[in-house]
Amino acid sequence: MSSPLVTRAQLLLVMLVLLVLQFYLRPRLGSARVSPDFLLIALMLFAMRSGAGAGALAGFLIGIIEDTLTPARFGAGALAHTLVGYFAAWGRAVFFADNVLVNAAFVAVGLWFRDLIVLVMSGSERSQLLTELTVYSPLQALTTAGFALLLLITFRAWFSIRLDA
Amino acid sequence: MSSISDRRYTRRDTVVFILCLGLSIVCLFSPTGWSYNIADTLRRTVLSPLVWLQTRAEEGRTSRVRFRLLTAQRDSAAYMAQFLPSLRAENERLRQLLKLSHRLSASYVPAEVLHQPHATDGRTLLLSAGSRQGVAPFNPVVSPEGLIGMVLSVTPQSSVAMTWAHPEFRVSAFTVSGNALGVVAPSADDRNAEGSLELRGVPYRDSVPLGTLVLSSGLGGVFPKGIPVGTVNGTLREEAGWERVYRLRPAANPGSAAHVLILVGTRANDLANAFPTDSQLEAMRLDSIARVQRADSLAQAARAARAARRDSLRRSSPMMGGAPTANILSGRDSTP
Repeated sequence: MSSPLVTRAQLLLVMLVLLVLQFYLRPRLGSARVSPDFLLIALMLFAMRSGAGAGALAGFLIGIIEDTLTPARFGAGALAHTLVGYFAAWGRAVFFADNVLVNAAFVAVGLWFRDLIVLVMSGSERSQLLTELTVYSPLQALTTAGFALLLLITFRAWFSIRLDA
Repeated sequence: MSSISDRRYTRRDTVVFILCLGLSIVCLFSPTGWSYNIADTLRRTVLSPLVWLQTRAEEGRTSRVRFRLLTAQRDSAAYMAQFLPSLRAENERLRQLLKLSHRLSASYVPAEVLHQPHATDGRTLLLSAGSRQGVAPFNPVVSPEGLIGMVLSVTPQSSVAMTWAHPEFRVSAFTVSGNALGVVAPSADDRNAEGSLELRGVPYRDSVPLGTLVLSSGLGGVFPKGIPVGTVNGTLREEAGWERVYRLRPAANPGSAAHVLILVGTRANDLANAFPTDSQLEAMRLDSIARVQRADSLAQAARAARAARRDSLRRSSPMMGGAPTANILSGRDSTP
């Protein structure tokens, strides 16, 4: 039985690996709009194991990173990720968050919700909004949730932690 | 006791959430200049390792494809190079005949496109070349297929480009046949949802047939003349009696572009060197007048010489009652 400190360190390590994967593996996977969003996985997994405030703060920071790299509408990503992080932390109390499938479903819903807010706040045209939300976002949500599921199954012991406990 | 602790915890969470939400809204409604400055500063400092990492990954992904492409291009170039010296000499000769200046040469900086998994990725692109490579704001960005956009902001190692899909993008353009001039902007009536453009401001009397290629006109000083922008594939609307708006299929797709060229040094001040200035035109005009006058005086002298020769022949011919030519030629010596 590992101590909470060790488990936290392990969780931090997984987050760092996800950060590296986002910027080193994802560009090699082909289409950017369909390949998994590793930063969102990191946010969701972190938020579901921490408090709502920490989830919102992590979401804000990840949103700022994404806005900095895609400044089509600076602040839209930060707003979307803040909301996703906050509601992911709250959602844990409502659903059975210990189930890996529920976790993966959370990730998929979180990604779609994030895209919805970003597109609306960026003032997208209706046709583009519909295409993104009905084609690209579900596809990306599927690949992202699939990878999150793989990650949760592989590192199940590492993710059995409550950071706000 | 436990409930009080939980309530404090919840209150703290709410405060943090509202703070993050407020900061996000401030970022969202801050002036564009500020947001670009913040983004540039973050990319230059804390995010530079991540940008560097993604640049290496993009280079790794495209290197194999680019190697094959370069090999094919090199073979084609080697084949074409066999005819190059004679073509170049002929071109130079023709240019001299037409008194044309040398062809404009725009230098460029190659860059990788660092795509992000964002729904708005196609509107702005993060490029792997920055001010260290000579990139500056407003430099045009092109792909082999055509126009992608222009550079918005620059850091030493990266830059952000606004693509034609951005709602604020505009480029002055004309049809390849030269019969219509207008402004190209992203289309709001997007049928295929993959992004399309529209050619606005075409006079009602100028109809453009389907399939016509539309090129940048060079007006405005940002984009050089002749970059393919798109192909006409329909009429969007007609403003009663004075203008037509055409739908264009874009020449290049920013969403799938992996490698682009940033044209540097193509601004209006550089293009000015390609054309003669007013003083040069005046000098050329005076020079041509002087040439004409010189030619006139030469022709006049030739006419006078011919007349004098005719007179002298008439004088020297015995049949015409003149003195012998030998005497005329040596007349000075023979006369006392």
